[in-house]
Amino acid sequence: MGADTLSRTFAALADPTRRAILERLVDGDATVNEIAEPFEITLQAVSKHLKVLEAAGLVSKGRDGQHRRCHAEGTSLDPAICWLDENRQQWEDRLDRLGDHLRQIQRSTTHPTRKKDQ
Amino acid sequence: MTADESGLGELIVTRIYEAPRELVWACMTTPDHLTHFWGPPGMSTPIDGIVIELREGGRFETVMVNDATGESYPTTGVYVEIDPPNTLVWAEKGFAEGMTSTSTFTDLGNGRTEVVIHQRNVPAAFRSPEAQQGFNASLDRFTAYLATLV
Repeated sequence: MGADTLSRTFAALADPTRRAILERLVDGDATVNEIAEPFEITLQAVSKHLKVLEAAGLVSKGRDGQHRRCHAEGTSLDPAICWLDENRQQWEDRLDRLGDHLRQIQRSTTHPTRKKDQ
Repeated sequence: MTADESGLGELIVTRIYEAPRELVWACMTTPDHLTHFWGPPGMSTPIDGIVIELREGGRFETVMVNDATGESYPTTGVYVEIDPPNTLVWAEKGFAEGMTSTSTFTDLGNGRTEVVIHQRNVPAAFRSPEAQQGFNASLDRFTAYLATLV
């Protein structure tokens, strides 16, 4: 399940500026300057957001010296999507098992009563 | 099920049981019962890892253990509403922070009970307008997934 990775993904996406940055990068790779342009925040603030996105694996940075371009990682949301899928499946299974459990305990509680009647 | 604007990302799972409502309620609120059905196949939920403080603000914790690898997955929640044997609501903590799970128990008569699990606020990041527009293949997939939830 990788709870740590998921925490980072969810936390990274919880911030609207970071979602906007990610959205920008999905249109194409960009430098920090290019990313910062439409935002009314400092370069440092953008860098900070990028670090969070990087730590979550949502964004990667190129190795091209000063003009390092940031890149959105297309498959990085898969674990989060997986988790949501698993979450549903888990409840479906759980409630099925609750049904089994209910049948079992009702059988075992009626059994002794019958014995007593004999 | 139709969704209002805030309804995106909800999860609803329903079952009808041939069992009285009090018993179904007991199953969802007692470690002795929970340990038998809580974990998915291949996982167990040891009774000593279950914390149920059945009062508003009380803890609801479980640890699911992978039978094959021994890896454990703790989940933590806090009870928000307890109205036996009708309604049980807890708020998820940890990476699903902000998500609430509501269990509703309806007596259908003749010893039958309907249980509805309703999770709201499936992590907010995935309900953003941006997410719904779908910025890339992954987000498109996510949006398609959300559509199946509502």
